[in-house]
Amino acid sequence: MATVWRSQSAFARIFAGKSGLILNNTADLGAKLNPASISTLKKHYSNYAHSPFVRKIQEQYEFEIIKNPPEWEYVQRLLPFESIPKITPKAAYPSGWIPQKEEASNLPYFIERNKNQDLSIYLDISYRGMRKISKIKKIEGDIWLMNDDVKDFLKKRYKRYIETRVHELGKFIEVKGDYVNALNEWAYSKGF
Amino acid sequence: MGSRQITEKALTMLRSLPRVSLGNIRDNPGYKKNPKRGRGQHGGDKHGAGNKGSGQRQNYMRLGYETGNNPFYLRMPHEHYYKGHHLRRQYPPFSLHELQLIIDKDRLDISKPIDIASIVKSGMYNFTPDEKHFGINLTDVGADCFAAKINIEVQWASEQVIAAIEKMGGVITTAYYDPHSLYLLRDPKKFFESGQSIPRRMIPPPDAIEYYTSAKSRGYLADPEEISKDRLRLAQKYGYELHVLEDDPNYEMLCERKDPRQIFYGLEPGWVINLKDQCILKPKDSELQRFFAS
Repeated sequence: MATVWRSQSAFARIFAGKSGLILNNTADLGAKLNPASISTLKKHYSNYAHSPFVRKIQEQYEFEIIKNPPEWEYVQRLLPFESIPKITPKAAYPSGWIPQKEEASNLPYFIERNKNQDLSIYLDISYRGMRKISKIKKIEGDIWLMNDDVKDFLKKRYKRYIETRVHELGKFIEVKGDYVNALNEWAYSKGF
Repeated sequence: MGSRQITEKALTMLRSLPRVSLGNIRDNPGYKKNPKRGRGQHGGDKHGAGNKGSGQRQNYMRLGYETGNNPFYLRMPHEHYYKGHHLRRQYPPFSLHELQLIIDKDRLDISKPIDIASIVKSGMYNFTPDEKHFGINLTDVGADCFAAKINIEVQWASEQVIAAIEKMGGVITTAYYDPHSLYLLRDPKKFFESGQSIPRRMIPPPDAIEYYTSAKSRGYLADPEEISKDRLRLAQKYGYELHVLEDDPNYEMLCERKDPRQIFYGLEPGWVINLKDQCILKPKDSELQRFFAS
């Protein structure tokens, strides 16, 4: 059988109808091909994207198409928000989170909230938990005045001097130590 | 020569010099390091790699490998506590405090039944089904401050959490979703756009059936009679007055549950959702209807 397969006629049979595929080296092994029969158009039979479109598919199952169905409300419920929903004022916020107040804009300084309406006060832990730095970000206005107020507040609460660092260009204040909860409380009390 | 003359001389020199530009500046000294190993003084030495061994040959062996000895970390027999940990179902936690927070921030509509799809939609919770995450484990952090009447469906809940929700007059169900349906719940829009029909939800695996059929864990396959009995038992245990669901103005919302085969609220398996034309395709074929109903 093997000898039959290796014969030239069998080789030509494999490539019958796929003349475009035969490489220059192999062309003379099989049946003789005139140059006109080798088309320059490439055909990638192995590539799914190059296969022709399937037309005239027989619909196997019947579907009932309902326009403006009553169930569309359930579909809309599942679709993602197009933008972050606006927060409606409530009587109480049991989670302890408070939205930003109007009166905060009257102060000489201001802390911007982030997209999730959280205060931009963070704790930075580095050196395997050896160094903890509380960071107040997105400060607008008189940052030095705010630094004095924060220092004063922390000194009154903890009854000792607490180191801070002001970065005017970066619009942030760093407080040495973990004072995130105290700072949050201070910021909420100011209305930020 | 006075200093004034020097200044003026320097200024005239500056005026005659070309402007500083990218074309006439050079790098700071020491900016570039020569990548070549020098052969001069000390250059023929070891080049900081030490004498012989791993340092010179760059074959850094794996941690704990003792060049063929029976390694220390394998010498003692041990109890395999984490055996099969990579195959176990995981439920990434979501606390009652976080749930209250997204309610306060209006990211969650409590006038509608809540399920994993609406919690993921809020943007405050995410999970990956391909990392063996099987949904939400609602934890009791913030159980004391929780104050919302909701109808929630989670995948895992402790007794304290069930008590905290039922204390406020709410309803909780624990329900199982197979990973494929979790993908749909994670991003329903993407699924609807793919134009496929909504599949059926699979039944829980053998080791999860006990949890999801027990009334104590408020399983979705549990007997409703047993659940109402257990609600009373839990109210007595934690010492709160049980709300009567039948008298509630939101009775219909609080009683809304999914079918064990259903993935989305209000949408049945087999339907195709066309977002572009805003229409729903429902199968008419009896063969398909039988398949999706089973």
